[in-house]
Amino acid sequence: MCQRPARIILNALLVHCVLLSAILTTPVLAQPSTPQTLPAFLGKPAPEFTLPDTEGRTHQLSDYRGKVVVLNFWATWCPPCREEMPAMERLHQRVGDEAIAVVAINVGEDEDTIFRFTGDYPVTFPLLMDREGRIVEEYPVIGLPTTYIIDPAGIIRHRAVGTREWDAPELVEELRALLRE
Amino acid sequence: MRYHEVMKQSTIIFLAQLAMSPGGLSAAALTTGIDEQAQLPYWEIRDEGMSLRLVQRIPDQSRAFFLARGFSSEQVERIAGRCVFQTVFRNISHEAQPSPLHYRQQDWTVQHRDRGASILTREDWARLWEREDAAPAARIAFQWALLPAEQTYEAGDYNWGMTMIDLPPGSRFKLEVTWEQFGETRSFLIEDLQCASDQPVSS
Repeated sequence: MCQRPARIILNALLVHCVLLSAILTTPVLAQPSTPQTLPAFLGKPAPEFTLPDTEGRTHQLSDYRGKVVVLNFWATWCPPCREEMPAMERLHQRVGDEAIAVVAINVGEDEDTIFRFTGDYPVTFPLLMDREGRIVEEYPVIGLPTTYIIDPAGIIRHRAVGTREWDAPELVEELRALLRE
Repeated sequence: MRYHEVMKQSTIIFLAQLAMSPGGLSAAALTTGIDEQAQLPYWEIRDEGMSLRLVQRIPDQSRAFFLARGFSSEQVERIAGRCVFQTVFRNISHEAQPSPLHYRQQDWTVQHRDRGASILTREDWARLWEREDAAPAARIAFQWALLPAEQTYEAGDYNWGMTMIDLPPGSRFKLEVTWEQFGETRSFLIEDLQCASDQPVSS
């Protein structure tokens, strides 16, 4: 069956315009929500460190062997770092009596600066100080905040770049799952 | 001419257009507006698995931020004399189809009045601060305040940081952003990006 050429061409163009529009717009319209996930990472031993906290006590990573460690790198001037501090504190409150430790390492700042920060963002987990920025380079961290999840054997299992809702049920369950292994 | 012949020909043209599109097929779209927090103009690229928002940062904001980190007034002017954007780069690929996202700023291009300009990376600045013997705490803060020059984000990851371009405040330029995701290289051209001056430039 034949059709008039002009009409055929017009129909063909119309079909492809619709197809192109669908391809170009569908992903933009279907904007996904930010997933609360902990991407798997490396599986290599976490670098050991010895760092002071803001109370003058010294902490070593090996002190936490046998626990899951949520190790956060942050700075007071970093807006997303500040944003996630309350969620880390809620996580600490929620799992404090389990073998899950929340530890935050401040990058490059002094006790006074951190003390002023905790006036606005009170936390009860240890705040360690990497004044010269050496430990942050060893892990390695590329942007702040970054959080490593270290299993009870001292192996890095996950890395989260940017903030997370740390007390979200799915994340708490992932941490508990590491304890059950 | 039969219908199926026309369809065959136009399909070939369509596929050829897809193949010729630079950086692979990208469904990216650009939005602009006023950032709710900064109250300054922003440009945001959003693709199926990534979003990149560039928010103007006025020179006085840079002066205040870096003076508070321990830089001298002279050093701070070196930063305030450049084009600075606050940047948020996210991997928004859905959990059902997560895909790592990788970028290198050295792959991005800046075009200003038919000439290229550089994106100033942490490494570029580190050499300057070394020569100027900037305070160690200031250098550390500066390093971490910039968007990483190269990064890989898994689904849900993002960084926040400044992007600095070697152009004076108030400049208008083209920025082509390139990234890798879903097994291909993608790119998007922002035609008219505007650096803030001390008086904010409207979008």
